[in-house]
Amino acid sequence: MDFALDEELRMFQKMFRDFAQNEIAPLAETLDREERPPLETLKLAAEQGFLGAPFPERYGGAEIGTIGYCMMLEEIGKVCMSTAMIIEVHTSIAAMGIYLDGTEEQKQTYLKPLALGEKIGSFALTEPGAGSDAASVQTTAIRDGDEYVLNGNKIWIINGSIAGTFVVFARTDPEKGARGITAFIVEKDTPGFTVGRNEKMMGLRGVPVATLFFDDCRVPAANILGGEEKLNQGFVTAMKALDYGRLSVGAICLGVAQGALEAGVQFACEREQFGGPIALKQAIQNFIADAATEIEALRYLVYHTAWMVDQGQKYTREAAMAKLFGAEVAGRVVNNMLQTHGGYGYTKDYPIERIYRDVRASRIFEGTSEVQRFVIAADILGERGLKIRP
Amino acid sequence: MRIIVPIKQILDPGGITVNRRAERIFINREEYIINPNDKNALEEALRLKDEQGAEVVAVTMGPERADDALREALAMGADNAFLLTDAAFEKADISVATTVLGKAIQKIGDYDLILTGCRAADTGAGQLGPRLAEYLGLPQITEVHQVLVVGDGRVRARRSWNQGYAEVEASLPALLTIALDANQPRYPPGARIMNAYREWEVTVWGASDLGIEAAELQPLTEEKRISFPPEREFGVKITGAPEEAVRELVQYLKVRRVI
Amino acid sequence: MDFTFPKEYQLLRRMVREFAQNEVAPLAREIDEKKEIPRQLIDKAARLGLLGVPFPQKYGGMGAGETGYCIVMEELNKVCGSLAVIIGAHIGIGATAIYLDGSEELKKKYLTPLARGELIGAFALTEPGAGSDAASIRTRAERDGDDYVLNGSKIFITNGKLSDVVSLLAVTDPSLGARGGVTAFVIEKTFPGFSTGTEEDKMGIRGSDTTELILENCRVPKENVIGEVGMGFITFMKTLDLGRLSLGAACLGAAQLALEASVKWARIRHLFGKPIAHKQSIQFMIADMATEIEALRSLVYRTAWLVDTGQPFSREAAMCKLYGSEVLHRCVDRAVQIHGGMGYMRDYFIELMYRDARITEIFEGTSEIQRIVIASDIFRQEGVRISP
Repeated sequence: MDFALDEELRMFQKMFRDFAQNEIAPLAETLDREERPPLETLKLAAEQGFLGAPFPERYGGAEIGTIGYCMMLEEIGKVCMSTAMIIEVHTSIAAMGIYLDGTEEQKQTYLKPLALGEKIGSFALTEPGAGSDAASVQTTAIRDGDEYVLNGNKIWIINGSIAGTFVVFARTDPEKGARGITAFIVEKDTPGFTVGRNEKMMGLRGVPVATLFFDDCRVPAANILGGEEKLNQGFVTAMKALDYGRLSVGAICLGVAQGALEAGVQFACEREQFGGPIALKQAIQNFIADAATEIEALRYLVYHTAWMVDQGQKYTREAAMAKLFGAEVAGRVVNNMLQTHGGYGYTKDYPIERIYRDVRASRIFEGTSEVQRFVIAADILGERGLKIRP
Repeated sequence: MRIIVPIKQILDPGGITVNRRAERIFINREEYIINPNDKNALEEALRLKDEQGAEVVAVTMGPERADDALREALAMGADNAFLLTDAAFEKADISVATTVLGKAIQKIGDYDLILTGCRAADTGAGQLGPRLAEYLGLPQITEVHQVLVVGDGRVRARRSWNQGYAEVEASLPALLTIALDANQPRYPPGARIMNAYREWEVTVWGASDLGIEAAELQPLTEEKRISFPPEREFGVKITGAPEEAVRELVQYLKVRRVI
Repeated sequence: MDFTFPKEYQLLRRMVREFAQNEVAPLAREIDEKKEIPRQLIDKAARLGLLGVPFPQKYGGMGAGETGYCIVMEELNKVCGSLAVIIGAHIGIGATAIYLDGSEELKKKYLTPLARGELIGAFALTEPGAGSDAASIRTRAERDGDDYVLNGSKIFITNGKLSDVVSLLAVTDPSLGARGGVTAFVIEKTFPGFSTGTEEDKMGIRGSDTTELILENCRVPKENVIGEVGMGFITFMKTLDLGRLSLGAACLGAAQLALEASVKWARIRHLFGKPIAHKQSIQFMIADMATEIEALRSLVYRTAWLVDTGQPFSREAAMCKLYGSEVLHRCVDRAVQIHGGMGYMRDYFIELMYRDARITEIFEGTSEIQRIVIASDIFRQEGVRISP
């Protein structure tokens, strides 16, 4: 087992870190205050190939592998979780869905522009009645000639207002539960498809999150993701993409936790009370030690899982673990680092205030911690032949 | 000027759930409150007190716990309070209540106005006001939204009439029933709450204090059965900005192939 | 042992709850967005006696003692963290400093209008170099004739902008430090040399202002000394002790609402065909919330009873603040998790509760300081003195 980073990965790490520090970090506070996405940064990131990081070159990707991609997300997450989430949803679930199950033609037509960053991608699964219970999608898609007519709403869709390409999950068979769902590729500006107002959120205020409305929206049958033979198999695509997404969110949380720890350590060394830096106080030392330990464990969980992906191994369980542990570690670390900052940590003068609001989403979005626990337990018990229901 | 305000203490409807299938009422939280409509009457009396000076007297018939309703009335601003309580009052129906309250009001005496709510939130019969007016031989104005003028032996009030209002005058003493939500009952200030329980007195009268004979305490009505109206179906509530709500409604109907 | 609240407290609770529901709750979101509480709302509260709850009626207060004050803070913090913090700083520490150690003249002059809400109070201890380490304050007060002249600055002062009078701690004798060298003053905003500086932009309790106070040769008459010259640190520590208890009560109220909202949501939100109330994870979260809240409730009201019966309460008050703030954090966190995405959106109140709650583990003595206070008290009984 070789745990060292090879030269290529070390080079990627430096490249990502520099980009994050120079282009992303300076905007983080502004995005939060103005509640807008970093369109300028996304453009720059696209030019560097960052928006198609894991995909093969023939689809416009940078082919850096999952480990490299997770490194990128870690470095970006360290400085701006909003930017990281926008890129993650675009790459890990929207574009990845097309990469995993799309036809060759769909990959050329839709995946390539996403990978090149010419368009941003979005993934529309969640509905008011289908959150954790993703299989209870109600948006309908009814065949009419060689088109499908879509009707319904999707809520809390990340990148809604900036995306050009959407992977939309709709019900094509009312009787079959999860096996009656089909994935469609829908472009922005398709008649009958509108994007609502952006939500106002606690954090991740740079991430555009909106409701999508489908009102007799006509989509060609050719846009079924994977072609007509993938009719009613959309849920499988969704689960595969979400697996990749979970790992990615774990990588982002790793970055967020690491960034928070560094900020806390710096503050503790500079702030003086009771005759010396507060880093001299055991309570602070304990916060730091516990944070560093959990981050270390998370780091290897994330990168080991990324390695499994690149090896072509099944990684559903580990991806859920990465997301579960990542979100919970990041939450604890950020909380304790905010406490380390004292009153200053509650003001907008210090980034930790924003990071605290941002990180809270990680235990909810893209599958709550409760869903992750279920996935992990189901996988483990499934091995012993016990099938569990959510 | 003396204003007497009969109030009723009722079980807080907020603490009750109704199970139609079991045909039962469940008391989840047993708390007692002043009948909201009577609070409107009390507020109207207090408003008159603020504007032109008056002595406001709260009176209630009930078990011992009704003392709390009177303390609350004192805290809101009433000057005196009377609790009419007796084991013999337990089976009282509306006619017995009228007698008891009527006798108490006569014993208090020297009043200009009686203000009470139109109806109690628990029984909803709305009979007490008119019956009491008849018992005491007083002119009555019902569903009053505002007492406009009191003075020179007369009262002028605005009451509901058809789709609007009418102004009605009566000579004093008179009984007025105040409409629900005619006003916003004031919150009792904290210091008065403390004093209502710690410093001030509630006068307690029983059947013998009021000189009521056992015969007068026999109820004229008997409750035979309670039944429930039919159940409403569970529905979906659509809220939000009008444009989005309409969109959502249309989707909802389309998805269910209603339209 | 009678664990029921006397009737006047039950009625007080009901009154404040209705006031909070009807008058305050509808404004909570706007207060957060506009960073301001309408003055009429504060005046309405004052007319009901909510700005002078624990003080005797002879000083214009409600006469409801510490128990009444805890009830009020509990019910108000349920609906609006900003309003609770404003009142908490005004009564709990600003006016209390004067109540505990002020002369009768000082009480007549300031406590009565404060209790009636005619004046708003604040409490100024913290400085840039003196947060948890309160004893290292530097603001200087030098005697000059019949006045003291004050120079220095205070930061993170709740009601810094809103207040009319400030109870403030300054150094009168640098050689003596906290023991005998520090004095408490009542400063009127209109005294020459007094101004307000930066107002902080905060994560939550945005309707309450947290502002810098600047003293530049600020003249304060000697009559405005609270208690004895040099004994100010003790006054301020006693005041903070008492303030801690009511913060615990405030946390109790908000935690209770987090629980109620979660139970309601769990009943109506369906997942996989059934209300989420049927999921063991949800049930356990709710059970844990309810248990902690119950424990906190008993802790808070027993401590209030200790205060109202004149018994020592310092350790228990620190426990109320420590446990209250940590319970609140866990409860609002669970509430957000139970509400899922809705708990993260600003159009639903759970999100605001989460942001407002975080400060409770930091201000008026961080959780770390509370632990030091509690441990010190325990070890002191064993004859061991510990220092932070």
